[in-house]
Amino acid sequence: MGLTPTVFYFCAMKNLFNFIITSCIIFSFISCSSDSDEDIDQIPQFDRSSILKNYADNIIIPRYSDFQSEVLKLKSDIENFTKEPNTINYDKAHNSWFETYKKWQHVEMFNIGKAEQIMYLNTINTYPVDELRINNNINSKKLDLSNENDWSCQGLSGIDFMLHGVEGTKEEIIEKYLTDPNYSDYLNNLIEIISNNTNTIVEDWTTNYKDTFIQSSGNSNSSSLNMLTNDFVYYFEKGLRTNKIGIPVGYFSGGNTLAEKVETYYSSKNSIQNVSRDLAAEALIASENLFIGKSSSGSTGPSLKSYLDYLYSSNVNENNLSPIILNNFQKAKIAINELDENFIYQINNDKSKMLNAFDKLQSIVVNMKTDMLSILSIQVDYIDADGD
Amino acid sequence: MKIISSYLSKTQESSSLALFRLGFGFLMTFSIVRFWLKGWIKTMYIDPSFHFTFYGFEWVKPVGEYTYILFFICGLSAFLVAIGYKYYIAIITFFLSFTYIELMDKTTYLNHYYFVSILSFLMIFLPCNSSYSIDSFIKKKSFKYSPKWCVDSIKTLLFIVYFYSGLAKINRDWLFEAQPLKIWLATGSYDLPIIGSTLMQQEWFHYFMSWGGMFYDLLIPFILLYKPTRIIGFSLVVFFHVFTAVLFPIGMFPYIMIISTIIFFSSNTHEKILKFILKPFKNTIKKTIEIDNIKIKKNKFAISLISLFFVVQFLFPFRYAIYPGELFWNEEGYRFSWRVMLMEKRGYTTFKVVDNSNGNSFFVRNDEFLTEFQERQMSFQPDFILEYAHFLGDHYNNKGLNDIEIYAESYVALNGRINKRFVNPKIDLLKEKRGFNSKHWIIDLNEEINYL
Repeated sequence: MGLTPTVFYFCAMKNLFNFIITSCIIFSFISCSSDSDEDIDQIPQFDRSSILKNYADNIIIPRYSDFQSEVLKLKSDIENFTKEPNTINYDKAHNSWFETYKKWQHVEMFNIGKAEQIMYLNTINTYPVDELRINNNINSKKLDLSNENDWSCQGLSGIDFMLHGVEGTKEEIIEKYLTDPNYSDYLNNLIEIISNNTNTIVEDWTTNYKDTFIQSSGNSNSSSLNMLTNDFVYYFEKGLRTNKIGIPVGYFSGGNTLAEKVETYYSSKNSIQNVSRDLAAEALIASENLFIGKSSSGSTGPSLKSYLDYLYSSNVNENNLSPIILNNFQKAKIAINELDENFIYQINNDKSKMLNAFDKLQSIVVNMKTDMLSILSIQVDYIDADGD
Repeated sequence: MKIISSYLSKTQESSSLALFRLGFGFLMTFSIVRFWLKGWIKTMYIDPSFHFTFYGFEWVKPVGEYTYILFFICGLSAFLVAIGYKYYIAIITFFLSFTYIELMDKTTYLNHYYFVSILSFLMIFLPCNSSYSIDSFIKKKSFKYSPKWCVDSIKTLLFIVYFYSGLAKINRDWLFEAQPLKIWLATGSYDLPIIGSTLMQQEWFHYFMSWGGMFYDLLIPFILLYKPTRIIGFSLVVFFHVFTAVLFPIGMFPYIMIISTIIFFSSNTHEKILKFILKPFKNTIKKTIEIDNIKIKKNKFAISLISLFFVVQFLFPFRYAIYPGELFWNEEGYRFSWRVMLMEKRGYTTFKVVDNSNGNSFFVRNDEFLTEFQERQMSFQPDFILEYAHFLGDHYNNKGLNDIEIYAESYVALNGRINKRFVNPKIDLLKEKRGFNSKHWIIDLNEEINYL
């Protein structure tokens, strides 16, 4: 029985893979021979894994290590404070808390790998905190805070409440720790959880995740560059723009300002120290550093910016995006620096400056979500759906 | 008239329709099972609290958990079509259930779903069960011949799909900017072994693929129709579609087209394939008595309906011409026209609600109402934006805000252009009616992309 041509092609389809590979090789062979080799050399290849390598080696891991050492310092300062609650120890713990919070702004955007699995972000910076629930937890001596309802009862935002919000003044707060050991236990437990989780993540990055991360340089939804970029854009839009500025200034709530929803609310409210502006400014710098691939020592390497530059230089798109985005970063920095150190004050006295800062951050969100993601062919969501 | 009536009485071996029925039916069964297993019934139809509807079909909505039953019915009827058991009931059920599913939420709209819908409509009028079907085994008689126009109507539909998607590629971005292929090949296809970081990065290759794609779509129906080039044509079909399947996440479409284009081969070939595939059932088939011709009942109605169907199919894609503005930007008359893979379009759209009773305003958090997939589709498609604005209007009315206005802050980037404001921010979208009227509230692109 002779094979009809159609049946022959059916067989060919069975060996689809061979078929594709063979065709592609023939295809590229034809194209190479028809084109001079110099042409191909002229266009520099962009190595996507170089971005991942730079991010992992010079930004993510060092920034996590920085954060880890601050967490350790905060831990010992909190231990000292709870052992001997006095003004000196209080100030030490507070200062460490602020330094740790600043370092945190540089890692919050990396909600990837272990961090994503253990809901690291949610356990460290969920605000506003749930005062009622924290007080219940303290009184019932609850130490297991893994339930998601307890996200708003822990982390650096939880410590903000524990160190600055359990009473109205510093003296009263210290007094509280002198009289009620449950407070000390709860505070120590909070830093213990942060410390353990941070150690887990740093260890995972340095032992095995780094290689997995760097090698996954493709363009599928689950590849590192796509996930990291998605996390970055998501962080910038939600973590930075919406949470730090948008929600408290009432952008989403009919003109009613919600000053109690600012980051580090208690430190400002009880006049311990005004840090919300500094943290927002730090977060913006951290975002810009990631975009341009800048390490904490100031050197720059392959990044989203250099990828966009490469694509523009290879005529993939009409406008050079990175100067536009960087210019918008500058404007946003200026707008944030114009804000009062105390966001509660700024919101209650002149919210237009907050709205202005929101708009400047918003224009970066638009750049990232429309221009950057489209040129990089990165889908903004994780839904896998067919296209046509 | 004579030519027409003599054409209508021409016959062709029924094996062509039988093989087509078999291929289509099993492919559809597989598609439904695949959709189910990927969990898309839940994520696309059950999870979202709001659904984007087609104008005039607002009543077509997912039916909660019963949506699974709907998919089951659809998959089962596809299977019955494949085996040719109670064919007419099966194909009508398939057409209705599949079309209902596609109308439930236009977020998931794909051209090939539309293709499946209208093809299954056409198949209602074709005697695809007259041979090699359970129906014919049960009746113990099969018809060797069926009207030639039946097979031709399927070929015509395929002709339209290819030729029109070729016509749609005759536009400035596609031919002279090699967009959006440039973006998709340079960054989207980086994964491919060997060629991903070499060939896919070459600008000449982007142009080559664009022009090649256009010529392929325009010429392939003719290459398939002309007997001497048919085998070359089919190998091109297989190569092209497999290539696109590897490059782009386009699901079942390439396979549907590959299987469908087999119809262009002769009935003789179809017969051989059927005999080959159905070898295990050889004895059953032998027991059916073959009758020379199909008893064609009075089918004037079917023929006029199908003629009308094709008139509509030929004209419908040109409806955009009655709208002002750039088709690719405004998307008025964009769907149901075989415009595939022409745009890399992203948007960012938020809505400002102004409460006239106290002058306050606030912005809506889209994630309160939409899934990420819905938000992505809404952000750059005008009819989505308007429908969603009206939904928000109703939502806040129900919450007691009775005197409100809704404005869109919308930015869209198209085919490598930098983002541009999309919706006029001074227009209260609640005052704009949904419908087929032109959307004057879109800010012009001020560029011409579409040529034809």
